[in-house]
Amino acid sequence: MKIYDSDKKNRILRDTLLSLWNHRDLILILVRRDIAVRYKRSALGLLWTLLNPLLTSLVLWFVFITIFSARLPDGTQFAPYVLSGVLIVSFFVQGFNQSADSIAQGAGILMKVYVPPQVFAFAGALSNAANFFFGLFALALICLITGNGISLIFPLTILLIICMLLYVTGLGLMVAISYIRFDDTRNIFAVVVSFMMYLSPIFYPKEILSSPVLLIVNANPLTSFLDVFRFVFANTGVATWADWAYMSGTSLLVFLIGIRVFARAWPRTAVML
Amino acid sequence: MNEPIIDVQAASVTYKIRHGASSSLKETFISTIKREKLDVEVKALKSVTFQVFPGETLAVIGRNGAGKSTLMKILARVLPPTTGRVVVRGSVAPMIELGAGFNPELTGRENIVLYGTLLGRKPAEMMERATSIGEWAEVAESLDLPVRTYSSGMLAKLAFAVATDIKSEVVLIDEILSVGDSTFQAKSKKRMLDFFQSDSAVVLVSHDVTAIRELATKALWIDQGNVMQYGEVDQVLDAYLSK
Repeated sequence: MKIYDSDKKNRILRDTLLSLWNHRDLILILVRRDIAVRYKRSALGLLWTLLNPLLTSLVLWFVFITIFSARLPDGTQFAPYVLSGVLIVSFFVQGFNQSADSIAQGAGILMKVYVPPQVFAFAGALSNAANFFFGLFALALICLITGNGISLIFPLTILLIICMLLYVTGLGLMVAISYIRFDDTRNIFAVVVSFMMYLSPIFYPKEILSSPVLLIVNANPLTSFLDVFRFVFANTGVATWADWAYMSGTSLLVFLIGIRVFARAWPRTAVML
Repeated sequence: MNEPIIDVQAASVTYKIRHGASSSLKETFISTIKREKLDVEVKALKSVTFQVFPGETLAVIGRNGAGKSTLMKILARVLPPTTGRVVVRGSVAPMIELGAGFNPELTGRENIVLYGTLLGRKPAEMMERATSIGEWAEVAESLDLPVRTYSSGMLAKLAFAVATDIKSEVVLIDEILSVGDSTFQAKSKKRMLDFFQSDSAVVLVSHDVTAIRELATKALWIDQGNVMQYGEVDQVLDAYLSK
């Protein structure tokens, strides 16, 4: 029998992880709902998950190759390079937005039925991981068409997905409270996120940067995600051990901070809803 | 010796609300610099103590804004008490205005599974029960259509059917719901009454004095967060009504 005792001393990290595990059925249902709703009213349905990244990379390829006549070093193919950038960035941006907004969105339910709010944040991130996974098929297609080939260590992409999930959930939990309390924080974070996006080598090579900018770009965790992804999947870059360490280190740290910040602030915020 | 299913000991809920209507970061920042006080402290519940045993029904009465909804929230585990202690032994089925959680793009069946899972049931179990829930709610033919095509009556019936499909140790009821046409109302009332006769511990918030006299075994009268009286139904009701 479930016993709820408000006096029970809780350990934040263990309790949060345990509640995510105990609600795994709900998380999967929420992710399925997200995917279903996203494509339900479209004629092409799930095919969009494939078409969307293909068309995006086509547009970027056209803009950068023909208009800016961009060149990548030593014969790196532009299309797989840019599409891997687009996939990582949309995983990051949409995952963060959905995760951060999910708790404000679910407030109606959260105030009536006991569900740990972290479940919504994690589900929001996970449904974008699913989207990213579908996008991998489009990228694989582009890699094969351009004759670029796929890296043989591509199963390691799963490690990157796990890191991004932690990273995005952690960031989402950190700002979710402020989304509920202050209406204008959404705009502030939209700017922060687009800065992070353009200060990572999505469609330009790092080689074109001057040294002070390069410093900032290298400090951006997204850059490590990009380097690792291009190395393990698209075969259009090399990741060092430092990239792996920086990617997993920042993700884990951000996740742990996010869980703590949220658990502390939630009871004070919940009464205001 | 019987253990109480719900045991609330000196529970208080205090929170701060904003003075002005706006809640922007900019204004908070400016007021902090000006050293203006923005928050007002509100005491929604002040040291409330009561117990509910299996098979009992506790009626919570009081005027609007007395703290009844806050009380329901601490019982539903949605809100922790600021001070004091709340112990609930068993699963909780909250029956508070539902339907808001339905997703318009999903079918009735998908919504049943989603809703049931939110209430803590297994998706596989909900999948099995979906058809019978739909039949009970009289929406069987539309069960595989998106909920946005439903009339508001159909939505209310479906929400009621899902929420009351669950047997729990604790049932929280915010007003006795009556939805649909007269036949459905009779049917839903009967289902409600079954809860009162089971060994669940029921907490009922209501303004319906006749229903309370008929159904409740104990009553709790709160006003502005204070317990005014707690005990035998008729005594508490008489005191409340004579005020």
